Amino acid sequence: MNWEIVLLFVAPVICSLPIAFFWVKEPGSERARKLPILSVFGLFISFLIAIHILLTYPNGTYTIPWLPDYNLNFVFIFDYLSKYMGALTAFIAFMIGLYGLEYMKHDYRLGWYWFFFNMFTASMLLVVYSDNLLMLLIGWEGLGLASWGLIGHWFRDDDEIAYVGIVGRKVGPLKMYWPPSYGGWRAISTIRVGDMPMFFAVAAIYALTGNLNISQIHWGALFSKIGAVGTLFLMICFLMGPFTKSAQLPFSEWLMTAMTGPTTVSALLHSATMVAAGTYLFIRISWYIHPWALHSVPGVEMLYYFVLLLGLISALYGASVAIGCLERKVLLAASTMSSLGLMFGCAAASYWFGKLALIVAFWYLLTHAFAKATLFLVAGHLIHATHDRFCCGDLNLAKKMKTAFVATIIATIALGGLPPLTAYWVKAGMDGIMHHLVEMVGSLPLDLLILTSLLYSAFLAKFLSLNFWKGDKYHLHLHGEKLMPFAYACVVSMVFLLLYRIVTGTDPLVERHLLEFGLEKGSLIVGLGVTATYLFALVVPRIKALSPIGTFLGDRMYLPALNDFIVPSIGWAISKLIEYTHRAIDWFCHFGLPEFMLSVSKRIRSIQVGYLRVYMKIALAFVMAVIVVSMLGWL
Amino acid sequence: MMLLMLQSVVSLILITLGAVCSIKDSRISLAVSILALVIALPVAAATQLFMYVLLVVAIGILTIFSMSVKENQMSGVDYSLVALIALITIYIAYTNDVAFILAAFVIASVPTYALVFAGDRPMVDVALKYIVFMVLATVLFIIGTLMLTFSSKAGDPTLYTLGFVMLILGLGMEVGCAPMHEWVPDVFSAADPLPLSVIASITKIVPFVAAYKIILLTELPQLSNLTIFVAFIAVISMFTGNIGALTAKETGRILAYSTVANMGYVIATLSIVTSKNYLYLAFAGALLQLIVNAFGKASFFASIKTNGNSRPLMYLLALSFIGLPPLMGFWSKFFILTSLVGAGLVWLAFLLIVNSAISIPYYLRIARNLAGDTVPGKVTAIALVASAAMLITLIPPNWFVSVAKMIIGGV
Repeated sequence: MNWEIVLLFVAPVICSLPIAFFWVKEPGSERARKLPILSVFGLFISFLIAIHILLTYPNGTYTIPWLPDYNLNFVFIFDYLSKYMGALTAFIAFMIGLYGLEYMKHDYRLGWYWFFFNMFTASMLLVVYSDNLLMLLIGWEGLGLASWGLIGHWFRDDDEIAYVGIVGRKVGPLKMYWPPSYGGWRAISTIRVGDMPMFFAVAAIYALTGNLNISQIHWGALFSKIGAVGTLFLMICFLMGPFTKSAQLPFSEWLMTAMTGPTTVSALLHSATMVAAGTYLFIRISWYIHPWALHSVPGVEMLYYFVLLLGLISALYGASVAIGCLERKVLLAASTMSSLGLMFGCAAASYWFGKLALIVAFWYLLTHAFAKATLFLVAGHLIHATHDRFCCGDLNLAKKMKTAFVATIIATIALGGLPPLTAYWVKAGMDGIMHHLVEMVGSLPLDLLILTSLLYSAFLAKFLSLNFWKGDKYHLHLHGEKLMPFAYACVVSMVFLLLYRIVTGTDPLVERHLLEFGLEKGSLIVGLGVTATYLFALVVPRIKALSPIGTFLGDRMYLPALNDFIVPSIGWAISKLIEYTHRAIDWFCHFGLPEFMLSVSKRIRSIQVGYLRVYMKIALAFVMAVIVVSMLGWL
Repeated sequence: MMLLMLQSVVSLILITLGAVCSIKDSRISLAVSILALVIALPVAAATQLFMYVLLVVAIGILTIFSMSVKENQMSGVDYSLVALIALITIYIAYTNDVAFILAAFVIASVPTYALVFAGDRPMVDVALKYIVFMVLATVLFIIGTLMLTFSSKAGDPTLYTLGFVMLILGLGMEVGCAPMHEWVPDVFSAADPLPLSVIASITKIVPFVAAYKIILLTELPQLSNLTIFVAFIAVISMFTGNIGALTAKETGRILAYSTVANMGYVIATLSIVTSKNYLYLAFAGALLQLIVNAFGKASFFASIKTNGNSRPLMYLLALSFIGLPPLMGFWSKFFILTSLVGAGLVWLAFLLIVNSAISIPYYLRIARNLAGDTVPGKVTAIALVASAAMLITLIPPNWFVSVAKMIIGGV
């Protein structure tokens, strides 16, 4: 068991080292281009172990001692969440690895790519299986570092195909296009903003409880101890990490420009790693916080209400942006943000609804991961085939890329929530939960959810329509790819496995709950509405009359101003302030102080006139003054 | 004690004879004066004061050599006078008798009246400034001492206050504390450097030891209210000396202001004389600072006479004045600072550190002014011995605190 767990994390990294080093020695050589197979083999080992864990391991924690005196150990947890999530991560990473063998065949920096790709996977697996928050942070940081490396992979910024936005377009002072190097910087800098408060929160949790194992901390006692304000402060600091990693408002910009990385990276980043890490962590700690049992603890309700609204508003924002997007990958990125918002919202509803809300959120995560990975892989294939990152294509293209076409249909329907495919049942669960919340917190969450769902199916249909049916003209350059279609076909087929588990009620925790939700009248009505918008958007993917609104939405409601204008302006202001401070210090040291000293020194020396009578006057005057003062009793 | 008396009589006879013989040949006086100092060593060998006696004898011989760098109109007699000052500097450590202390104060001071005339040509106006200030200082010191002695027996607080103030004023004027320092820059820049190597160095020790002893002998409860006055003088003196030295160009003048500043550091320790826990540490710091000052000033003034000296030795002495560990100048300031902080005068310690920082440029300027080639000779030997003394504190001089305790502990 011991070696197997270690191998799970270490195998991908070790197997990527040969290419990482060999590429430095012989960049681009034929021999070097064969080594990525070894990297994918490392991912395969992780995949096998994750499946083994899923199928055979008993639930519970497994500890490898590190600093037992301080209660800091490598603690791995095997429960419902981590087993599924680990298998999902390892499977998708392996499949994208296979896809990448073909997709990245001609790249100029394979050593860099495969090392960070495998490190990305290993870090995510560490986050998934960690019970200890400190160990989790190691994986968490690995994700941040690897995402920087991968998003900025094409660091030369020399290929327009890797940019986000229309090159050269400006709106006011804002440049509305982003090169890969800037994308990588935006990712790491945004994530740091969230990670810093999170580190302090973890330290505070350790200081307050002496324990860092999520499943062992007495969260209720901790929250009671620090009071409502303390709870809100501590947990919002902690959740700043998940919020930034999962690109919730207002930290969403980095996710959009993360599309400057290779498509394989986008696929992995948006389905099973990185962004999913944030929601996964929130679901995991809520799983052990038991918020539904803490109604008497002050502050917890406000915290969950905050996350609920933040998630749902981010979801609506993401869906609106996706409606206006015409870039294949940016559209999908906005949709990811929307889905993450739904996961946060649904998981936060657990405070009122109980554990089932967490399970529904988690199942939505699983469904989304498979479908979104498929869509990204298809988008990557399309970009390769058409040499265009904007939506384009027609039925002729669909005929030539049948697998991609079919996979996109399945993925959009399964993710959009059209009955009777997978997401319908999961979203029906969400509908039911939000409906239940109307009595407690009002109808706002339900309204946001339904609006988001409608928009969501609309832009998925738009994606399908503009790429395979009613899109612009294109030039096709097919190279007879085999591995790429195979990879996304495998991934998309997994949504049927999920569907099977839901419909048959064989999952131990989901049981028949989702089936019951799905058969309710309200859910069916929403399902029909979603289907109607899907079909409408399929037939009418673009409405010319509404293009100003589309531009506004596609420009992400000008939120880039926050990242590219407001925050840098503050930074510049601070640097100006520092510059002036430096100048003041320089003036003081080079001019003010010496001049002052000089004048005082000259004054002191001006006494020395050379006449004894003057000296005696001064000395005797001082002596007399002191004597008089001392006699007056002042001394 | 008998041995000590015997030694003192022999020494005095020796230096008198030396002075007389100098009519014939001043070299006899040189040898005899040094002998008179050296025989003080075996007498002190068994006591804990040995290190103090050794250091004073070293300074004494150094200053005698310094006087012998160039012949002057009273060559021979001057050696005896310096030896007399050195001997009285040793003997004051042994006594707790107020009359003897006062006598020591006068004996250490008066020979310099004659010495200040020594040189290539007598500078009467400069000597006059010096003598007038010294006489006034001596009068104030003696009257202050008498008032303190009387009032501590009679228990008169007003008279005690007056006596204390006059004692401190006299002390300040004698050693050159601001704002009674006017004579120092004039004398130090105009008089011959060789007698100055005596006046600026060894003669500063006795007044402070005397003041310490008298204050401790006559202590009344209100003393603790009066010490703030000493701190006041110390602060003025430090700032006047250090800032004044910054723009001075002549080496003699820089050394004059450096003396004012150093006397400020030393007199600062008198402000915690009522703190029984830190008294000895404070006195150890003061005495060590005086010894650093004596070695350094003697070498610097002798070097002025020869227009420069060995470069590394000049820099080493300057760095010791700045207070760079592990040189002796660091330990003296360290003792002073520790005692000030321990006794609660953190602000004074802070100002002292600020002043140490201000002093860095001008000490380096002194070293640069005087730095030259290393030529074997008397002046180089003087600087070499002084530098060696600065280096004896490579081993932290904890022992010096017990020496200091011996000197004023019996009071």
